[in-house]
Amino acid sequence: MNVFEWSFLAGVLTATAPVLLAALGGLLCQVAGVFNIALEGQLLWGAFVAVVVSDLTGSAWTGVAGAVAATVVFSALLSGPAVALRADPIVVAVGLNLLALGLTAFLMRQIFGSGGTYSSPELAGLPDLGELGLDVPVLREQSPLVPVALLLVAVLAFWLTRTRSGLRLRAVGQHLDAAQAVGLRVSGYQHGVTLVAGALCGLAGAQLSLGNVTLFSEGMSAGRGWIAVVAVMLSGVYPGRLLLACLLFGVAEAFGFRLQGAGLPQQAADAAPYVITLAALVLAAVARRRRRSYEHA
Amino acid sequence: MSAPAVAHRVVASAPVVAVAGALLLTTLVMLVVGVDPALAYPALVRGAVLDGNLEYTVAAFVPTLGMALAFALPLRAGEFNLGGDGQLAAGGVTAAAVALLVPLPPGAAVVLPLIAGAVAGGLVAVVAAPLSTRLGIPAIVSTLLISAPAVSLASYLVRFPLAEPNTGIAQTPPLPDAAHLPALGGSGYLTIGLPLIAALTALWLYADGRTVLGYEIRATGQNREFARYGGVRVGRVAALALAGGGAFAGLSGALIVLGPPHRFVDGALTAPGYTFTAVAAVLLASARPVVVPLTVALLTFLQVGGQGMEREAGVPSQLTQIVQGLIIVIVAVLATLRARRPR
Amino acid sequence: MYAAELVGVTKRFGPVLANDGIDLAVARGEVHAVVGENGAGKSTLMSILYGLHRPDAGEVRRDGHRVVLRSPTDAIRHGLGMVHQRFRLFPGLTVAENIVIGAEPVRKGRLDRAAANEAVAALSERYGLRADPSALVGGLPVGVRQRVEILRALYRHAEVLILDEPTAVLTPGETERLFEVLRTVAATGVSILLVTHKLSEVLAVGDRVTVLRQGRVTGRFTTSETDADELVNAMIGRSLTPPVRRRAHAPAGDPLLEVRDLTVRDADGVARLSEVSFTVRPGEIVGLAGVAGSGQRELIDSVTGLRGAVPEVLLTGTPVKAGRDPRVAYVPEDRHGRATAPAMSVAENVLMGAQRDLASRWALPRAKVRARARDLVDRFSISAASVDVPIGALSGGNAQKAVLARELTRPSTVVVAEEPTQGVDVGVRERVHDLLRAARDEGAAVLLQSSELSELRDLADRILVLYEGRVVAEFPGDATEKELGRAMTGATG
Repeated sequence: MNVFEWSFLAGVLTATAPVLLAALGGLLCQVAGVFNIALEGQLLWGAFVAVVVSDLTGSAWTGVAGAVAATVVFSALLSGPAVALRADPIVVAVGLNLLALGLTAFLMRQIFGSGGTYSSPELAGLPDLGELGLDVPVLREQSPLVPVALLLVAVLAFWLTRTRSGLRLRAVGQHLDAAQAVGLRVSGYQHGVTLVAGALCGLAGAQLSLGNVTLFSEGMSAGRGWIAVVAVMLSGVYPGRLLLACLLFGVAEAFGFRLQGAGLPQQAADAAPYVITLAALVLAAVARRRRRSYEHA
Repeated sequence: MSAPAVAHRVVASAPVVAVAGALLLTTLVMLVVGVDPALAYPALVRGAVLDGNLEYTVAAFVPTLGMALAFALPLRAGEFNLGGDGQLAAGGVTAAAVALLVPLPPGAAVVLPLIAGAVAGGLVAVVAAPLSTRLGIPAIVSTLLISAPAVSLASYLVRFPLAEPNTGIAQTPPLPDAAHLPALGGSGYLTIGLPLIAALTALWLYADGRTVLGYEIRATGQNREFARYGGVRVGRVAALALAGGGAFAGLSGALIVLGPPHRFVDGALTAPGYTFTAVAAVLLASARPVVVPLTVALLTFLQVGGQGMEREAGVPSQLTQIVQGLIIVIVAVLATLRARRPR
Repeated sequence: MYAAELVGVTKRFGPVLANDGIDLAVARGEVHAVVGENGAGKSTLMSILYGLHRPDAGEVRRDGHRVVLRSPTDAIRHGLGMVHQRFRLFPGLTVAENIVIGAEPVRKGRLDRAAANEAVAALSERYGLRADPSALVGGLPVGVRQRVEILRALYRHAEVLILDEPTAVLTPGETERLFEVLRTVAATGVSILLVTHKLSEVLAVGDRVTVLRQGRVTGRFTTSETDADELVNAMIGRSLTPPVRRRAHAPAGDPLLEVRDLTVRDADGVARLSEVSFTVRPGEIVGLAGVAGSGQRELIDSVTGLRGAVPEVLLTGTPVKAGRDPRVAYVPEDRHGRATAPAMSVAENVLMGAQRDLASRWALPRAKVRARARDLVDRFSISAASVDVPIGALSGGNAQKAVLARELTRPSTVVVAEEPTQGVDVGVRERVHDLLRAARDEGAAVLLQSSELSELRDLADRILVLYEGRVVAEFPGDATEKELGRAMTGATG
């Protein structure tokens, strides 16, 4: 098996894109001091709405727009309770993840008439870059959202370090009271990033259901939102590191896929991303532990 | 306090408001998508308690209560155990393996798989403890990440080494008769799992409120630094709480496998969503452990009733997941509103 | 016309009348000290002036005009600036970013770093407040951080600058420098409100003084025409505290606490404590002085066993045990972080540490737990509605009494008290001091860490001074604040 072939790299990128988009949203929330572990539910919800809207309108791009809009609305269910009312963000997020699971499965049956997996020849998926004239290896079979995701890493890095609102956002996350004391509208920033994270999860969902594949199946987010949460934990507030963390996951998934092709059971492929993500988390924490050792002595 | 005052307190209590609010919102969802609540709700009630369904509901109450303990016990120590599915599957597959592979005398043939299941669940869960107390990785993330491979492993075992030969179905062969949980009074669904889990719940409630360990677990959950300062070995207490939670989950898995249809069927443990029904129930009880069995009963009722609703009124049973999700969100909001209200 | 005035300001928090019809006027370019004991209402008053609280009655005036301040943003707009006791800085941002935030220079839609750095450098120059604009604030010493706070206020064109207990975290040398800066700033026409409870500072730097006691103004003085006695009178309503009642006989017997050549390194190998040795004998109170962060935390955590088994620490002749050595009673400074679990009941809070003694085998009978708590509540005159209310609902003073009740009833021979009177009112302070003296008289060895030198001088038989992790000096209990202050900066002798 040759790992270093174009198709493997393409597979890595495909696996990375939805996680990266969701994780960018999570990173923004972390920068502004909002604990957002509702990425999983938002990702699933975005994937579902993308398919429904694309199916209804026949346009994948309308599907993407619908997913973004609907997931922004969904994320308001987090920002309202957790930012405005200061409810426990963990509990709210656990509820929202469950809500997304139930809502998508329920509406799927109501709209498409059956559960499980929905796909149809009429369902429009996102075009490949190859079809759009970008006929280069690795990117040829990716959706346009893949380069968008990569571009957003740079955009976010620029925003956070070079602009006034980016500076203020970082300030809010570092010291809430201090931000208030210098006259920043703290909750405005926190609502803002939670909703932007919703939009990014909408994109992530659309990429998953209209880019990576062209179908919706129940629970198809399959833990990617949680892996995005871990990627954020690993990378702090640095978009560059976030890209690396998400690529690590992409490699794990693509590698697992290969293993399956090589005859290993599917369960090993399923487990690979989680095991690798957990291992990365543990290694990073061990490295960080040196600094914390005094408190736990 | 007068009777009306008591009634008022019950009606205005967080669980009641949360359930009412969630049902109201769910009714709105029904109306939006064109489901007639006047058909759906009676179907739900029938599905849960009438036409011989009550027995089935009570049977589903057992693993849900077990999973509620699996979430509630670590939560008292401040650790979120969201990895119930993995612990449940590990317990189930271990119990099945022991029952199938180890020849045991009657009695031990039931007890040993149950113990093995509990131990397996506890082991899966306890991995999260040092990650949390020593490395600062939140249990909410690590339990989830560990859960997925555990489910995959169970799935692999039941498809290959433990699979029933020549059927192509992902399930173990039927367990030997000696390993079947004794039925309760000739019932088709109910086993001694019910009194067992009830006794364990009572034991937990007693331990939580009236033992040294319970006190130290609660102190750890309320303020870890305070507990550490007071001489509580918080790392060990957190590990114990997580292991205990995992053991309840593993035991629940074992109870399912040793009950009808007496085999491990891939996905049968995790598909009904016991884990998150239990999470919703525990959060609904809002830090009052005594209420947990009641909230579990209520949500099991909704869960099982939902299946009846699907059969009878054609309303997808996933509606009950929506109710659960909304309940959790509303509980969180009520908690913060209550904390703000000046006393 | 005054730069800022508070007229008839009244503020009530529940049953507590924090400010009661206070008038305060600050002239342009003056350094105006506001003094009073803890709980006298200084912080509330300044919070009202800075828009953090709204007064129940009365008004705020700037340059003679009434202003309504709904938030710090309003206050900033009206030319007010505040340096809080706990700094409001962003550790991950640079000095320049911390200063300009909220009014950042922008060029072509982007943050103009160069302009920000220039503006900050110019300000530093003008007021003699040296700080590197591009350094990250998180790594700066406390004194420099405070300069950043002051620069921030000046950058926002503050004409009235409020400083809340600015010297609490500074060494005497840094304090000197701060006072120079304040005089420079005042000379440019900025009015300075200096909140403090240290009279020497008031006399050193203030032009005028307003004294508060129990929410009211009890004196207004011009510093050149007053002295410490007069100020103390106004502050506590009686003359200087009588000389400390020390016992006639000296402490005797083998030391109960002995620290031998203790060195503690942090994770990076930097020594936080170096070769610390001392003893505390039965019936003795040993004070621990030093600027915050001189190794107090490490020393106390070593003595109490919270750092694990430390062979260099001997309690009654044997090494301290890991976890929490039962031979030590410990009153921590951080009341909600370490000393209590605010959401748990009073009964369960005072239980901590005694749970195994009260239990019969496994069971921990609730009746016993509550009976014991009621007994403690009575004996230590803690005012609580019942032992079942959360301890977080108690006032600071009552919560502190509960902590003392729990610790001093342990069967311990060594008592470690850390800032035992921080944030409590005068009455509770007296009570706490009496309890510590009583423990001493019963033969306990007491180690008392306090940043209030007057407290150390009131209680301690000997005072050790920590500086950069070393015991640099030892004084008798009646050492002067000047001597102690010199030692705290590392100037030995």
